[in-house]
Amino acid sequence: MKKIEAIWLPEVQQNVFRGLMEVMSRPGKSINLAELAGNVMPARALLATLLDAEVTFCDHNGLLDESDWPLLQAKKATVEHANYILCHGDSAVDFEPMLGELSSPEHSATLVLVVENLSEGSSHLTFSGPGVNGEISVKVAGLNRDWLKQREQWISSFPLGVDLLLVDSSRVMAIPRTTKIEVTSWDM
Amino acid sequence: MTAMRKANAAYPFGFLDEYAKKEVRRTILKAIAIPGYQVPYSSREMPMGRGFGTGGLQLTLSIIGADDTLKVIDQGSDDSVNAVNLRSFIEMTCDGIDTTDITDEANVIQSRHRIPEKPLREDQVIVLQVPYPDPLVVVEPSEDKRKIMHGEADYSRLLVKLYEDIVQFDEITISHRYPTRINDHYVIDPSPIPRWDVPKLNQSKALVLLGAGREKKIYAVPPYTDAEPLAFDDVPFRVESFNDENGQRRCCDRCGDNTSFLDEFTSSVGNKVYQCSDSDWCREQLVAKGE
Repeated sequence: MKKIEAIWLPEVQQNVFRGLMEVMSRPGKSINLAELAGNVMPARALLATLLDAEVTFCDHNGLLDESDWPLLQAKKATVEHANYILCHGDSAVDFEPMLGELSSPEHSATLVLVVENLSEGSSHLTFSGPGVNGEISVKVAGLNRDWLKQREQWISSFPLGVDLLLVDSSRVMAIPRTTKIEVTSWDM
Repeated sequence: MTAMRKANAAYPFGFLDEYAKKEVRRTILKAIAIPGYQVPYSSREMPMGRGFGTGGLQLTLSIIGADDTLKVIDQGSDDSVNAVNLRSFIEMTCDGIDTTDITDEANVIQSRHRIPEKPLREDQVIVLQVPYPDPLVVVEPSEDKRKIMHGEADYSRLLVKLYEDIVQFDEITISHRYPTRINDHYVIDPSPIPRWDVPKLNQSKALVLLGAGREKKIYAVPPYTDAEPLAFDDVPFRVESFNDENGQRRCCDRCGDNTSFLDEFTSSVGNKVYQCSDSDWCREQLVAKGE
């Protein structure tokens, strides 16, 4: 019998979701998704948890296998119209995602950025805002600074904006639109 | 009862189908990312009437897993009808979860009308059942217009309403569902919690999720987020007073505590009696006194 990969199982998705809820409520905190979902790319685990046929998705840099699409069930959309977008974090930003409308800010994109490392790295950031008790310092490697510059533009008129989920090979961290980011040092 | 609770094989874990859960989960993440914004979702039919906590129930069923310990409260008590029904429904459909009456032991707390007296921790999440999610409904009947007012953070008409209260009664007369501004933008209806509980939302260590099943809205107050009750500089917000006519703070008739929110009862001989509204808090005070 063919074995179903863990990320498609309801109990694993529930676990992954709780992880996402935790990181989204506490920006700057990262948790190990690989532990929760078996040794898979965390981006796949969280997409499997969030997507279904009701939402649109764009794999901007072609990071997923074609074989994942039927199980994700999400409709393909261009990057400008997708609810969820998967991209490489080290490349420069070459699109404008959905930011929502004033009366419906939930019509905005969630960006999943694949970076090199979320626990170490020479780019040091300080987060503050809702979910953060004062300040929290964050290290990241493999994130193009262009994302932070573009994000400043995208979130400039709250409640419009985008929410970011950063993933490396095992961990996930969230940067919702309300988080204030200060760059303490940068090496890219 | 045990036989009934075992009769759960026909239901998937959490009663809701996985598509329904996914939608609620996506909505929760958006609600956390936009603090205080009422995110619409397609509230499912539940095997109980709308208005009996179906919004809170859908939230709980979408987040809960077999490792969780759940507490369900109604008006501060674990033993009132709404709490008992919801708890046994969740026990019946979520195989393997633990339930408890003790606030400290729970990591998922679903509540109607109260937030526990005991300060919540970072590893806990509280789900509040909401009957009427939109505080602007008293001043603007059109939802389209209310959505624009919320987006622009235009609450002038709500403030006028509060001002009219002061003109007429010398103070703001809202006893529960006190309009509260989240992260300096959206004003929420914090569900029918008493004023006493509103300050607990401010910079709360625990995540607060609010679900309105009939109105099909989910919103959130993330941890460590400002939650400020609407008030005026010269008429500050105040919580309920439990002082008697001599200015003495009343205490609980059962445990003697004089720091908690009290319920008023009439005793069998006709005089007024006060007791802690939060039954677990009351129990804890009694244990501390060695009774």
